[in-house]
Amino acid sequence: MTRFEYHKPHTIKEAIGLMGSLENAKFIAGGTDVMVLIKRKKIAPAHLISLRNINDFSSIDIGDGLQIGGGVTHSDIVANEFIQKRYSALTDAAGKVGSRQIRNVATVSGNICNAAPSADTACPLLVLDADVKIAGPKGERQVPLDDFFLGANRVDLGPGEVVTGFHLPPFGLNTGSAYIKHTRRQAMDLPMVGIAVRVTIRIGGSEIGCKDAFCTIDSISNILRRLEDEELRCEDVRIAMGVVAPRPVRARKAEAALKGKVISEALFEEIAEIAASEAQPRDSIRGEAWYRREMVKVLTKRAILISVDRVLRPDDMILRGHDAASCPRVRG
Amino acid sequence: MSDLTTVGKKITKRDAPLKVTGGATYIQDLKIPGMLYGGILYSKYAHAKILKLDTTRAERLPGVMAVITAADVPNNFRFGIMKDNPPLKGGRVRSTRDEIAAVAAVSAEIAAAALELIEVEYEELPGIFDPLEAMKEGAPLVHEEMKSNILKMPWKLICGDVEAAKKESAYVVSDTFRTQWVTHCCLGTSGCIAALDTSNNLTMYSNTQIPSLAQNDYIEALAAFGLKGRRVRIIQCTIGGGFGSKLDTYAYEYIAILLAMKTRKPVKFIFSREEEFFATSPRQCSITKISQGCDKDGRLTFREMEMVLDNGAYTSWGATTPSVMMMPISSLYKVPNIKYVAQCVYTNNTYSQAMRGYGNPQATFAIESSLDQLAEKAGLDPYELRFRNANEPGELTPQNFQVTSCGMKECMAEVVKRLDWKGKKGNGNGRGVGMASLIHVGGGARVYKSDGCGTIIKMDDRGKVDVLTGATEIGQGSETVLAQIVAEVLGVPIDDINVINNDTDVCPWDVGAHASRSTFVAGNSALGAARKIREQMLAVAAQNMGEDPASLDIKNGVVFSRNDKEKSLPLSKVLRKVHYTSGGKMFMAEHFYDPPNENFDKEFKGNLSVSYAYGVHGVEVEVDRETGQVKILNYIAAHDVGKAINPMLLEGQIYGGGLMGIGYALGETMIYEKGRLKNGNFLDYKMPTAKDVPPVQAVIVETDEQAGPFGAKGIGEPGLVPTAPAIANAIYDAVGVRIKDLPITPEKVLRALQEKAQADTGRSGA
Amino acid sequence: MKREITFKLNNEERKVEVDPGWTLLYVLREVLELMGTKEGCGYGECGACTVIIDGLSVNSCLYPILEAEGRAVTTIEGLRAASGELHPLQQAFVNEGAVQCGFCTAGMIMSAKALIDENEKPTEDDIKDNIAGNLCRCTGYVQIIDAIKTVAGGGRT
Repeated sequence: MTRFEYHKPHTIKEAIGLMGSLENAKFIAGGTDVMVLIKRKKIAPAHLISLRNINDFSSIDIGDGLQIGGGVTHSDIVANEFIQKRYSALTDAAGKVGSRQIRNVATVSGNICNAAPSADTACPLLVLDADVKIAGPKGERQVPLDDFFLGANRVDLGPGEVVTGFHLPPFGLNTGSAYIKHTRRQAMDLPMVGIAVRVTIRIGGSEIGCKDAFCTIDSISNILRRLEDEELRCEDVRIAMGVVAPRPVRARKAEAALKGKVISEALFEEIAEIAASEAQPRDSIRGEAWYRREMVKVLTKRAILISVDRVLRPDDMILRGHDAASCPRVRG
Repeated sequence: MSDLTTVGKKITKRDAPLKVTGGATYIQDLKIPGMLYGGILYSKYAHAKILKLDTTRAERLPGVMAVITAADVPNNFRFGIMKDNPPLKGGRVRSTRDEIAAVAAVSAEIAAAALELIEVEYEELPGIFDPLEAMKEGAPLVHEEMKSNILKMPWKLICGDVEAAKKESAYVVSDTFRTQWVTHCCLGTSGCIAALDTSNNLTMYSNTQIPSLAQNDYIEALAAFGLKGRRVRIIQCTIGGGFGSKLDTYAYEYIAILLAMKTRKPVKFIFSREEEFFATSPRQCSITKISQGCDKDGRLTFREMEMVLDNGAYTSWGATTPSVMMMPISSLYKVPNIKYVAQCVYTNNTYSQAMRGYGNPQATFAIESSLDQLAEKAGLDPYELRFRNANEPGELTPQNFQVTSCGMKECMAEVVKRLDWKGKKGNGNGRGVGMASLIHVGGGARVYKSDGCGTIIKMDDRGKVDVLTGATEIGQGSETVLAQIVAEVLGVPIDDINVINNDTDVCPWDVGAHASRSTFVAGNSALGAARKIREQMLAVAAQNMGEDPASLDIKNGVVFSRNDKEKSLPLSKVLRKVHYTSGGKMFMAEHFYDPPNENFDKEFKGNLSVSYAYGVHGVEVEVDRETGQVKILNYIAAHDVGKAINPMLLEGQIYGGGLMGIGYALGETMIYEKGRLKNGNFLDYKMPTAKDVPPVQAVIVETDEQAGPFGAKGIGEPGLVPTAPAIANAIYDAVGVRIKDLPITPEKVLRALQEKAQADTGRSGA
Repeated sequence: MKREITFKLNNEERKVEVDPGWTLLYVLREVLELMGTKEGCGYGECGACTVIIDGLSVNSCLYPILEAEGRAVTTIEGLRAASGELHPLQQAFVNEGAVQCGFCTAGMIMSAKALIDENEKPTEDDIKDNIAGNLCRCTGYVQIIDAIKTVAGGGRT
């Protein structure tokens, strides 16, 4: 078994201090990546500085959007109903990472710091305009996640710096988001492709309210068709793609092509084509490039549709089964 | 048979309480005082010359007790069925799993560190990884002394006249099907402890599923190592999964023996998960050309198959799977004319072995996929074609299999009913149904000179029973099934039965846990021994009770008279009376059952098994036309099992086999690049998880096999045999594309859909 | 350098001298000789090593031992009642045929326990989701899911 010293600081300051004073040290959070790298002999740190025991590090705070602490695990995200409703894409992703055992200890910041092109939470955080909060020997700073990723497994962290959490701006009820992870198995898998989308929608300039027409189990495609005259407009949109480039990336051309437009399924298809053209997937044992590109197309459209659906029909509005009588909005 | 008390019941697994409390001892958990830990250095290349091998630095590492290389293997010892596999390879390596050096050290950590200190220089040689390339004239030879890469195993079966039948057939289809490398994925990795006593007798703590054959292998090895005539005792730990992976002995076991000889200490090997993936022997890939035909009424006229199998660099049981493939080829459905040839080809890939189904899944994938093609050509519902040609009791198949019980049609009926076949077939709405059948040996398989198993039963003074069996428990539940059989015959509570099944010093001979034979063969053996002891006990009880033995019965450990319910005597009293008397005796009985099945003759014909197991799987799938993903909506696995001795354990075999089959069909594949395994881990090898389990029904069809213990037949392997073709057929029904090479990945489905769309456009355009 | 740590193991305070490089699994098996927790892969990909730490299922093969300090660790050995009676989940696994080779069983039961402790009435999807990290090659999972359902429906202790 590999030998290393293990340190358990209680404050970030202490952690950064340790990092500055120790040779060949590495931060460890949930350890599900770091321990694997050590066991596979990819890294051999002399010291591990644990972030598990930092005080007040695992909180999820609402207010001015959303603050996610550096020690927040994937399971913490999954259990948070506010995130599920208002930052749905993040819940989608967190719930699909590894296994329950992994999610129980693996942190979102750890997932982001590894900067694997397949990191599941990266795409949702990109579309949710997350800023990365960083602390280091020179103090604290905050950078947009898009700037934080520098390349394949490379992030904007200087010597001794550590990610202390994320800030996500608030989004109104007219914003919906989704993440689709395309895998070979239903669990315990890395994405062949991961697509996250966030859309903000306006109808004729006013916010969408409750419409009885939406209280239905019909497909979102059909609902969109019925709402053609309503001029649902895409006010804002983000599309992020995983495993199609050395790092998680935004499909900026596709975003630009959708922003401000009246939405329709046909338009989404065009947008998806553009996103696919922006993807630069490679062949690997985990998937073929042509297929990945094809999936960007399919999943982008689907993720947009789910996001739109989540605006038009929030979870608490969707009927349970076919029992229309139980829907307060129908009765009201 | 209706008043059975134990057989036919849902009896909980005997070893389950130990396993749910963490108390079972697997090879991983076993420590012997003074034990050393072994490690193996594998080749860096799939094909290379070893120019230099220097172990000096490793030997100097404190804690290292021995380092051995090919030079330490006496008498050029080789193992495997073709004796082409040295436990340590010198001079030349032929695959990336070639063992070139091994160490024994005081800890696993030191052993691993020592391996890194061994210096090797290679000269890489061009390798050959495609069996079709390897067959070509002038291809580099994997074993030069063999003169050819094609193994000298003339697999050829001819029944009737295929050429004549072709001419007379109204419809004929031909195609090529391919299957992939897949592996067992036992959750407990391989391992052993080799320990020699002061007289050099060997005790091997082992995971083997063939204790008696492994014992023989080690005896041969000891002889080659200069220890002729020494005894070998095999003690099996609780086995963390078998599925065929432990049907042969491996290099690491011989290396453990050599290291134990050199260090005079017990030496333990435990494979890491990576080693388990690349250094155990998987199911080989296959390329199959198949033609089948039928007459205008849909009666099958002939089946012709030609197969190439990647043997890998050395030879284990993988090379003999064609013998089992012949079974479905000749006898799945009624087909009068058969031609089959198979060639096993050396390559620089990993070498292949037995895996659940033993060739049958590969052959059945081709047969059952092709049958659907034939049905379409003949304008028949695939079910109708199958039903018209279904096997039936009393049939003598072209390969001379005597079909006794056969529930194929009943299984088919269950599938059709439960799947709503007629309602769901051919709707072309992205959803579709498919089916496929299977035949497998269900009454032993005479692949060796003996297909036997022995049982010894002894009774103690309190009416408790020790059953010493040759049968191996690999999780499938043979221990419980045997206990049920003995409890039923002796009329004692099942908790009074103790099964001892893990020590060759006390357990009788058995050919092994293979060929779905344990319930049938070991069951019949236990049945025979139990009957003998029952007879002895009743004779004594009769004397004591003044009754005719024929009028006595035993229930719940008490002997009673059927004529006079008042007359009874606890079994324990009977036993003590006989024991504690002058000239007394203890009740013991032994029985060796060797089924009356036949070895194949020179033409590969003969009644391989006393009975045959049948089954039909039906599946409804939904295909995502945009992603190519296949979702199983409903899965029906109907099996003719003769008689279910324990329905719960039996369903466990069907569910387990079924999901293994689904993995085979839809996702699992060992990805080799130039002979190196690229996905040897549980993340990249897509064994199904709990979330991949579809709605599945295990349907038990009972046909009461007269030769089986209480009417039972084998069920260990059948569960995965027809899965892949049933799914492939359902996909075709759903979206009109046929995937002919496993696994059926989303990529393949999507590409096929795109090609079909192009072809359709082309057609409609023209 | 060895360090002494204290943690609660199966409801008992334990003091152990450990090397900081060890994992919890290593300490359980090699130091404390609790062999019920298995190593199936060593990389968190199979779940055979699952234990419960402060109520959550965790892969002990990736868990640095020093993190166990001051925490409550439950292993398969800690499930049985003092009377020797099996935990309802253990009994359900026996009753429903959820055990074959048994190598995954301990981890599987620990994942199931963490689930029903958190959610008394999990749905089938919840069950699958929570044991998806526990690979089993023998059973096809069907009877495992059935076993957990029988406990999840009630009768939980």
